[in-house]
Amino acid sequence: MTVVFSKENLKLSKDLQTLTGENVMLCYQCKKCTLGCPSAYAMRMKPHELMRATQFGLAEEIYWSGAIWICLSCETCNTRCPQDINILRVIDGLREMSKESEYYNPYPAIPALHRIFMALVERFGKVYELGLALLINLRMLTPFKDIDMASPMLLKGKLKPLPHFSHGAKELRKVMARIRAMEKDRFA
Amino acid sequence: MRYAYFPGCSLSSSGYDYNLSLKYVAKALGIDLAEVKDWVCCGASSAHATSHLLSIALPVLNLSHAEKDGFDKLIAPCLACLSRFKAANVELEHDADLKKKIHEVFDYKYQGKVRVYHPLEVFLEMGIEKIRERIRKKLKGLKVACYYGCALTRPPKVCQFDNVEDPQSMDTIVKALGAETIDWSFKTECCGVSMTLTRSDMVLKLSNDILREAKEAGANAITVACPLCQANLDGRQRQIEEAYKTRYGIPILYFTQLMGLAFGAYPKELGIQKLITSPREVLGSVGLM
Ligand code: SF4
Ligand code: SF4
Repeated sequence: MTVVFSKENLKLSKDLQTLTGENVMLCYQCKKCTLGCPSAYAMRMKPHELMRATQFGLAEEIYWSGAIWICLSCETCNTRCPQDINILRVIDGLREMSKESEYYNPYPAIPALHRIFMALVERFGKVYELGLALLINLRMLTPFKDIDMASPMLLKGKLKPLPHFSHGAKELRKVMARIRAMEKDRFA
Repeated sequence: MRYAYFPGCSLSSSGYDYNLSLKYVAKALGIDLAEVKDWVCCGASSAHATSHLLSIALPVLNLSHAEKDGFDKLIAPCLACLSRFKAANVELEHDADLKKKIHEVFDYKYQGKVRVYHPLEVFLEMGIEKIRERIRKKLKGLKVACYYGCALTRPPKVCQFDNVEDPQSMDTIVKALGAETIDWSFKTECCGVSMTLTRSDMVLKLSNDILREAKEAGANAITVACPLCQANLDGRQRQIEEAYKTRYGIPILYFTQLMGLAFGAYPKELGIQKLITSPREVLGSVGLM
């Protein structure tokens, strides 16, 4: 069988290589990544399938599957890949490139969590665990989720009701603003 | 010995007991921990999902504070922070382009002089004899499953510590304390913590697998080296037992708490009363509480 790659097919893998330095074309489908992946059971597109899809430039299928958001970032796949591909870096690249306005995402709460997390860090300089949990629960329309876990932790003082501030937050905000300015139109 | 200390966000809230016990043990071993000035969050598993540059910049911000204050060694007890810090150092060393960008973002140019360690690495580097000398009470009767999680050894290129699939560092220390450690195959499986708020179902499944394996292998306690693993396996244990109609009741202790107990500390000094799954029965049965 011959596979003909058009310029359009190759765009995704090229873009990924520019962004992450990883060459997805090295993947020869041994499936080692998928066999060791703790979240493969919950992915509609398994890690090795995802790698194949990046080779073929199937961006739409990749984003529709939502698999990049189900990945736990555990680094098992990178560690075991015989071709030494940093698969998590590829997944992170796809996460960075994802434009939610363009493709359907079955798990919108997961990127939303990352954004809320970073917004709270930008505000306080540190994670505010309780605030993060409350905001994401509201976002998912399940305001009382995990209350059975949170209450003993609050009682034992393991969850703090109020956020901590870092004196480094000001410098952090400056850094984040500079990065935003540098990356403003990188996927335009 | 003086180290810069990066406690990270978890150790001031849910990992309060880890902080307490680590400080106790460090002091006993003559390690001086100086908290990094004005430290900020490392970005954990969220920064790298939004911007690679940001995920490197956050650790660099903290590393530069340590470097400016003259430190060349930093201890990060949380595995999420640890791996972000180590990754930042390795990537800056190998990626000139990234280094240039990072130097554009910061006024201070980080020189990459601060080496990053997990407390396990530091304790082992000092030598197991140093730990043996401090022991007042052997932990006889404890059967411990050492759970290392994802980020202590993975990816090996970044972590450069211990055996990647079958690590031994925590086992070595726990054995030296007089406890028995069990052989099991889930030492480095992922507990799923990055999805704890958004896909709790996955976290319950993965953590249940870990608890079940430990129990079946004959452990009466699990020891961990990360506040996130701990919060999952301990804080969610009740939920896991309900979801999978089973009963574990297996306490999840920090390795520093076990060290502290063997060094003769009172459980309170190590924050042991803060554990959600009570260790009273297990520690009581071996005369430690
Ligand atoms: S382990 Fe590497 S080569 Fe094998 S299928 Fe996965 S990505 Fe491809
Ligand atoms: S990093 Fe993601 S894709 Fe790779 S093994 Fe872990 S969960 Fe699976």
